[in-house]
Amino acid sequence: MAILFLDIITTASILFVVAAGLLIVFGVLKIINFAHGGFLTIGGYAALVTTQLHWNPWMALPVALLAGLLLGAVVELLVVRPLYARPLDAILATWGLSIVVVQMITIAFGRGTNFVQSPVQGAIPIAGDTYSLYRLIMLGVAIILGAVMIGILQGTRLGLTARAVIMNENLSRSLGINSELVRFVTFSIGSGLAALAGALITPLLSVDPLMGVPWLLNAFMLVMVSGTSLIGLGAACLVLGGAQVAISTYSSPVLGALSIVVLSAVLLRIRPAGFARA
Amino acid sequence: MPDSAALAYPVRLPSQRSRIERRLLLVSSIIALALAAAGPLLLDTYSVSILIRSFLYGAIAVTVDILWGFTGILSFGQAAFFGIGAYALGLTVTQYDFAPPVVTAALIGGPLVAAAAAGLAAWLGFGPKVSPLYISVITLVLSVIFVQVIYSGGDFTGSSSGLSNFDTFDISIDGWFRIAGAFLVAVTAAGWIFVRSDFGRLLVAIRENEQRCRYCGIGTVRVKALLLIGSAVITALAGFAYAGYNDVIAPDLGTQLVIWVALGGRGTLIGPAVAAVLIDFISAWLSGSLPFIWQLIIGLVFIVVIVLLPQGLGPAVADLFRRGRTRSVAARLAPLPDADVAGSGAVPAIQVASVSRNYGSLHVLQDITFTAGAGELVSLVGPNGAGKTTLIRCLSDGQERSAGRVAIEGNPIGRLPPEACVRFGLGRKFQTPNVFDALTVAESLRIARSRRERLSVICTADEVRLPAAAMRVVQATGLSSQLGTTVKHLSHGAKQALELAMVLAMEPRVLLLDEPTAGLTKSERSLIGEVLVQLVRDHGLCILLIEHDLEFVREISSRIIVLHQGSIVMDGTVEEVTNSELVRTIYTGEPHAVAA
Amino acid sequence: MNHLIPAAIAAAAIAWFCATVPARAADQTVKIGIPVGLSGANSVVAPSVVQAAKLAAQEINDKGGIMGRKIELVVADDGSGADGAVKAFTSLIFEDHVNVIITMETSAARNAGLPVVARGKTPFIYTSYYEGRSCSPYLYVDAWVPDQQVAAVVDYFMKKKGAKTFFLAGSDYAFGRGMLEFTHKYITAHGGKVVAEEYLPMDASDWTPVLSKLRADHPDALITSTAGGAPNVTLTKQLRAAGINVLFGNLGVDEGTAKAIGPDAAGVYISQSYLTTIEDPQNQAFKAGLQKMFASDMKTPNDLSEPEYDGIYLYKAAVEKAGSFNEAKVLRELGKVSFTGPRGTITMDKQHHAPLTMYLGQVQPDGSVKVIQTFKSVDPGQQCPKLKS
Repeated sequence: MAILFLDIITTASILFVVAAGLLIVFGVLKIINFAHGGFLTIGGYAALVTTQLHWNPWMALPVALLAGLLLGAVVELLVVRPLYARPLDAILATWGLSIVVVQMITIAFGRGTNFVQSPVQGAIPIAGDTYSLYRLIMLGVAIILGAVMIGILQGTRLGLTARAVIMNENLSRSLGINSELVRFVTFSIGSGLAALAGALITPLLSVDPLMGVPWLLNAFMLVMVSGTSLIGLGAACLVLGGAQVAISTYSSPVLGALSIVVLSAVLLRIRPAGFARA
Repeated sequence: MPDSAALAYPVRLPSQRSRIERRLLLVSSIIALALAAAGPLLLDTYSVSILIRSFLYGAIAVTVDILWGFTGILSFGQAAFFGIGAYALGLTVTQYDFAPPVVTAALIGGPLVAAAAAGLAAWLGFGPKVSPLYISVITLVLSVIFVQVIYSGGDFTGSSSGLSNFDTFDISIDGWFRIAGAFLVAVTAAGWIFVRSDFGRLLVAIRENEQRCRYCGIGTVRVKALLLIGSAVITALAGFAYAGYNDVIAPDLGTQLVIWVALGGRGTLIGPAVAAVLIDFISAWLSGSLPFIWQLIIGLVFIVVIVLLPQGLGPAVADLFRRGRTRSVAARLAPLPDADVAGSGAVPAIQVASVSRNYGSLHVLQDITFTAGAGELVSLVGPNGAGKTTLIRCLSDGQERSAGRVAIEGNPIGRLPPEACVRFGLGRKFQTPNVFDALTVAESLRIARSRRERLSVICTADEVRLPAAAMRVVQATGLSSQLGTTVKHLSHGAKQALELAMVLAMEPRVLLLDEPTAGLTKSERSLIGEVLVQLVRDHGLCILLIEHDLEFVREISSRIIVLHQGSIVMDGTVEEVTNSELVRTIYTGEPHAVAA
Repeated sequence: MNHLIPAAIAAAAIAWFCATVPARAADQTVKIGIPVGLSGANSVVAPSVVQAAKLAAQEINDKGGIMGRKIELVVADDGSGADGAVKAFTSLIFEDHVNVIITMETSAARNAGLPVVARGKTPFIYTSYYEGRSCSPYLYVDAWVPDQQVAAVVDYFMKKKGAKTFFLAGSDYAFGRGMLEFTHKYITAHGGKVVAEEYLPMDASDWTPVLSKLRADHPDALITSTAGGAPNVTLTKQLRAAGINVLFGNLGVDEGTAKAIGPDAAGVYISQSYLTTIEDPQNQAFKAGLQKMFASDMKTPNDLSEPEYDGIYLYKAAVEKAGSFNEAKVLRELGKVSFTGPRGTITMDKQHHAPLTMYLGQVQPDGSVKVIQTFKSVDPGQQCPKLKS
């Protein structure tokens, strides 16, 4: 039972870390960044490059973050900004971008799976059994990430302007807030977070050009269900991630893999606002 | 009295344009069919085999364009519908034998299941407060679930290996080429006729301004659902044909339909069909030698097209062929015989009881109660923020109010959506012009008339029949000489007039007007006033009017309700209200206590 | 209306493009068609398959070809799937008029290609290990089936390691399920007990529920059969990260992927018909030949690529025995001829399948595979009882 509990909270943490970047982009820019999976993959390959350069595996994290920030900035300027008035088209353009990213990575690195060195190995004894140390670390990472993001949103000027833009962009602009800059910064940070998440999950996964694909749909559904609230995202990850683990464990993993997606779709229909408070 | 005589520039009637178009359609269809028949004789076997699939995909692309390019519904579910049609044939023939009853069952069953899946997606994805992104989400989920169902089906569905080598139709590859080609031509031609018909314009109207359509009484949710189901059926048939030809089906039905439609040109029908066929064909040839680079190129071109050329490559190329300015097309106006639109008078037109509207702790409307009957012209006045527009919203949309009861012509609106309220005889004109920017004036009027006169799915009618009141507004405001003009190009005042005409065209018994004269000239304003008075006096309508022009209010109203900070503070005749101290205080802001 | 003109032009362009497709090549060569997954799931392993084929072709051509005719390889992309396979097979058989098809591919692609092969009456030598029981008069298989591979691992676990309870995990698709179903039966038939059989969708990467169940069940051994590449990596990594150190036999991993997994793969048992560490002279020559031909581009040969080399030689032997390239005659001989290569002597005489020497190996910390036990001439079992051998 303890293992099940640990499974649930660590799965929720991993989902949270992966989806956090997507959430802030959705909140501020009101679009779903379909290139999120691509940025995740870029983060994974940043970790690969770090391994190939024989650096300390922990260096993969800042390398990935930087790569994501820079690429996100370029994407925002070239692709997202021109589509400001056409949100559905912006979503499509990011989807096209995800295809481009996968192909470019394949051309550069080949299609095979690659070995990436993990910063941490092994398991630690917990509750009479052993549990993956890295998964527990992810729990910590998710909590810290959530706290930092909430701290920035609630405690800094950038966060305040971001929240204003999230609530009512037109009003913010008329109050003199440079919403274009806010969108630019948010998209870059969101992409950076996606890449960081990609690097963070490589110890648990393989690094190949299609590694981001299964995460995108789940992250996307979680973000839609949580509205624009980080706490909502945390709640969604716990509830839906927990459902996935429970169904996988007690029923079948095949059904479990679908559970987040199906439950989110139903939830959104019943309560379009999702987990966000009214 | 054809209006075309008074027009300043040449305008063609829809039937004239449609005749020319139909002729061209017939000629090109015949050429295309001839190409399909002759194709196998000119092409090598490999190309023929690829083109069979490309043609089927082209037909699906046409339906996706109708859904997305015309109606604004972005569906990712075609892969699932295609698979349902294909597996219907494969599964039934594998389990039973290849006999006519079995095949017929598959031919009917596949599209039926696809239709049911589309219906479910529509039920989940099209709702009043649901974001347009949601249907895309649902259809994507549908595709994912379909693939998983197939994978988990073990030997029954063939899982990831698919089903193969089942008994199938004894048709040669050339025969299949002709069938697929004919299918593409048929779907494209039918689609073309459909989108050029009056109903086709409704699709654009829904994409542009679904809310306005609903306030014209059109069940937009039902229309969208039917479109999705239609696309699902055609896609399933294509899947059936593909399974029959290929003798192999597998769940790896990657579709790039959205990309093909975007590249070919959204909303052009021909563009997506050509793009689908071309790109699928070229991909098959190139996938061996340059698999990744080709995909990369497609992805990059797609992004460029979305960002820089949203209409797609098709129209960009076609523009090179466009010869000069085309003449605009518009239907003629014709008067409706004067029908007696009045209600019986026995039932009050508007009954409002204890209606309130809260947003969290903010009370916008509190305990509003009043009744208005036929033959009354009630003006709703009050300073900004009093809640006037909110009240109108609560009267026209059953889901708006937080509490209380509303009845229109004796029918309680309960929690009904706007299109249902409108069907009780309600018409609403919005504060800022709420019209269809992409349609012409004549087309907008036709859509407004659609509840009374059904839109044809095949033809374009030459006449729009308008009731007298709407006709007066159109003629007096000069709209009658701009029937072929796209609404986007009208002035603000003209758009106001158009919306009013559209609402009047619905022959409502109860009219809710939100600042109908804003942006009109003085003479236009007095004209509108006359029209409204006439409607009330001669036809027994009940009109509820929000206005800031107090002169106008005083001239035409029979009754004035004053709203202040969400409550009715006064409800009486024109003299009572205009002479009231209270009202003066409210408007000038002197700090007198307001009696509850 | 304005769009019909460009449409007509586009249609004309298609017709012109097709008409100028290059004409069929001259028939002084013998053409071997290789539809393989240049794109898609098999794109990682396809290059090594093509290299093995090229080496065989060059060696044979250097010695005068097959009955005087030089071998010409025609490679086509089957997209690693059914749809692409139909296109590839059709183009190879009906456009390029190949004499034989010798290739490895996914089960989906193979199943899709078989009807085309039957229509074209072309011999098809399938060089990939698979879940077994695919039968056609035109199909011959020179790679292993579960009956050959599973026995090695299970026997070793039960006899030498004393394992009695087994936990089976795999990817939910034809190969995964086929392998594990066979394994389940084999274990039960030999007195063992299967405590669980769990499947995850093919593209899933989160093995947490399976691992938690594994932990709770405390089996003596774990046997997995996942889709190639990514699922192998994710499962192994997560298994080790969870600190689970159970006897681990992997039916679906090859040497190359094992290396990619890194140190986490150490201790895993695999069973293959080809390992780069096989000591016989033919293997040395094979590896040297690849090295010489491809130098720095050489892809590590593996159990999916080496049988391609054997397959081409088997075809040569069949043609020479039949004395003709006539497809029907060659088909009659394919089940009778032998070839001695890196995997030993191979004859596809058991219902179109071949008895093979299976090597049980254990992955070492440095990624190499140490051979623990060799099983000579393992019978493929009853694969196609309806076919005459």
